[in-house]
Amino acid sequence: MSPPAPALPLTAISHFQRFRLRRDGLAGRIALALLLSIGCAAALIALAGHNPLVAFAAIVEGAVGSPHQIGAALNRCTPYLLAGGGVAFCLRAGIINIGAEGQIAMGGAGAAAAAFAFSGAPPVLAILAALTGGVLAGATWAGLATAIHLGRNVHEVLATLLLNFIAILLVQQFLAGPLGQFGAGFLQSPLMPRETWLPRLAGFDAHPGFLIAIVAAAALSFVLWRTPFGFALRVAGSSRRAAAYAGFSLPRLTWGAMLIAGALAGLAGGIEVLGVHRRLIEGFSLGFGFKAVTVALLGAMEPLAVVPAALFVGLLESGSLAMQRQIGVPSALVTVIEGMTMLFVLAATVRRP
Amino acid sequence: MNSLLEMRGIVRCFGELRANDNVDLDVRSGEILGLLGENGSGKSTLMKVLFGMLAPDAGAIRFRGKPLAGHTPRDAMAAGIAMIHQHFMLIDAMTVTENVMLGWPAAGRMLRIKEMSARVREASRRFGLDLDPDARVATLPLGRRQRVEILKAILRDAELLVLDEPTSNLAPAEVADLLAILRRLRAENKGIVFISHKLPEVLEVCDNVVVLRAGRVAGRAPVAGASRGQLAEMMIGRDISTRDNSEPPRPPGAVRLAARDISAPGLSSLTFELRGGEILGVAGVDGNGQIELVETLTGLRPARSGSLALDGRDITRASVGARMTLGLAYMPADRSHTALVKSMSIGENLMLRDSRRAPYGRGPFLTPASGAAKARALMADYDIRARDPKVIAARLSGGNQQKIVIARELDRGPSVLIAHQAAWGLDPGATRFVLDRVMALRDAGAAIIYISSELEEVLTISDRIAVIADGGFAGIVPRAEIDMRQIGLWMAGRAA
Repeated sequence: MSPPAPALPLTAISHFQRFRLRRDGLAGRIALALLLSIGCAAALIALAGHNPLVAFAAIVEGAVGSPHQIGAALNRCTPYLLAGGGVAFCLRAGIINIGAEGQIAMGGAGAAAAAFAFSGAPPVLAILAALTGGVLAGATWAGLATAIHLGRNVHEVLATLLLNFIAILLVQQFLAGPLGQFGAGFLQSPLMPRETWLPRLAGFDAHPGFLIAIVAAAALSFVLWRTPFGFALRVAGSSRRAAAYAGFSLPRLTWGAMLIAGALAGLAGGIEVLGVHRRLIEGFSLGFGFKAVTVALLGAMEPLAVVPAALFVGLLESGSLAMQRQIGVPSALVTVIEGMTMLFVLAATVRRP
Repeated sequence: MNSLLEMRGIVRCFGELRANDNVDLDVRSGEILGLLGENGSGKSTLMKVLFGMLAPDAGAIRFRGKPLAGHTPRDAMAAGIAMIHQHFMLIDAMTVTENVMLGWPAAGRMLRIKEMSARVREASRRFGLDLDPDARVATLPLGRRQRVEILKAILRDAELLVLDEPTSNLAPAEVADLLAILRRLRAENKGIVFISHKLPEVLEVCDNVVVLRAGRVAGRAPVAGASRGQLAEMMIGRDISTRDNSEPPRPPGAVRLAARDISAPGLSSLTFELRGGEILGVAGVDGNGQIELVETLTGLRPARSGSLALDGRDITRASVGARMTLGLAYMPADRSHTALVKSMSIGENLMLRDSRRAPYGRGPFLTPASGAAKARALMADYDIRARDPKVIAARLSGGNQQKIVIARELDRGPSVLIAHQAAWGLDPGATRFVLDRVMALRDAGAAIIYISSELEEVLTISDRIAVIADGGFAGIVPRAEIDMRQIGLWMAGRAA
């Protein structure tokens, strides 16, 4: 019970309904949504004339069939976990950040630039410098979106979304200019200096990115649940008016959440460049940043729950190529599964305003 | 005369709680039945069962002689039951006629605005509703909007109208009009259920009252001959004649809050001083600048000009948090979205404004163990009834929710408290609790601004009374010099 909303807005802060999740029985709902989407995928595979069980077996085999494949799959999960964790963090504060794709792209470029600048440094220092370059570039890009959002009152969805395209084109521009490999015939940089390569576990092919990402998810969870800053974010995500009443500065919270998310996405870009490709390539982010939103929702906006969500998406994609190779079901089917999962999860969890 | 509505042996449980325990209710045509009860006494549950929003666990309903069971709200409406909610279900951008037609099958598939307007005009004349069919709802005062809801019910041939706390949003003059309309409806042989906390209105307009307490019928009585004291006693099982605040005036303390020429959009040049140990009651019809006043004082809105000092320190430009740290406590009127985060736990709501301070936090970290211990202590001190601090605030009754706000704001030991509609929608027991705590804070030397549209509440508690009208104080008088006629003129004067 509360008095009726006054005719005038209670505060100058705009107060429109941000979407929220139903928190009761959430895990069960998400599990059901996953089952439904896998069921639909099975039906599609059967329609295409293949045995769904064989196809799924091929995906599992392709994802975790050998140490090498497990390593590749974990590498694939890494950007989802880093960027998805950041997006979930923002969503928890009621900020819809669709800009991870651009932040990853800028992060990759920043890491590449730093790597070239620090070539010849001792390996640990060089790697740290390169990753720091990625973090700073990602955070800068998120900061730009935040400045536009807060300074000019542009909705954050628009600001973050549109900056993605600018970032992707900027990376192309860098590759056509200062960072590009002359005469490659392809928009890519020269190989990174060897001392900036992320080490790979022998016979396993995994770079340490996944471990970094797990640590980051745990840190996000700690911040969210065990610090006043995280508490303020959660209050702001539930009610902006309550946050203003509590004395929290909404702009400061937005800056905090966006910079952290941008830094993590930038780190994801840097790890991708230094750990997987070892050069900056046009379009190296295969929509990681966009799917990070799916991953964040699949993980119910809970940084630690994003770990299994990222594993699901990463392993699925990693196994899909094997499925295509072995039984001829196009790997694009996995994109369909992801899309359906997203829809089912939203349908099962988002609370009606 | 036969009953229009018979509810027999209604039982409805929520888990272990028996929200309705064998309740019987009868309404006759041409009767206004008052339904009284504290929050959580089962009034809303009973009406939701009637309207088909909740299924009863046991019991039977007969309406106009026919059984009503397993029905939906749509069936209830079709049978002739109309519910007029506290929050109106109207579309502001549409006209009265359009709102009446909305979702009404009898309006037909084609839009026949002219014909409908004529019907609206005719019904409005017959029942004295005084509504212009072409007026946009957004332009109507709340009292008129309520009449649109009543008109919708009448045109849909409702025989029984249920009004849930219908006077809580209305100015005194509008209340009088509403009661006149209800009498008119009674004369047309409609049955009316009037749900209210406000005993004087119930005594004025109702024929009979049914009092619910803890899910059971605590008593039923004809209004003629019943007294306020009796009804209140039935409601909470003890007499709650209000504590008299007529002790001799204490020597005024030092000035704690000084406002000089404060103005903001909707607020014109206010100057006042507030001393320790006094309660300044602010009366006035809602929408006359109350929200602007409290939000400017607490820092949620910037002041356009003027200055504000708290215990001698200038806080005109201080942030919400800085003002709070300096000793300014605030209980907002909007409990659902501002004072509380209903989706969070009691413990989290208790630390809402203090998460950086001990015992809730230290440096950059929260300290959950000491925070939970503190929350448990506050729950005991302020009688917040729930199993433990992890219970979600939304599960509590309005009274318990408001106790969370009081506990949080008073425990900080404020020097100034701004309480806005602090007892709004609370039952008499919880209202008493709020007023007692506020007075205890005053006795401890704090200065208090108590803003309410309930004049009686303001008169009960205040040492000085200000009337706000049209964004400014129409007048301030000490309690000893109150002239009710003058207060009434002030409330109406500048607002008219």
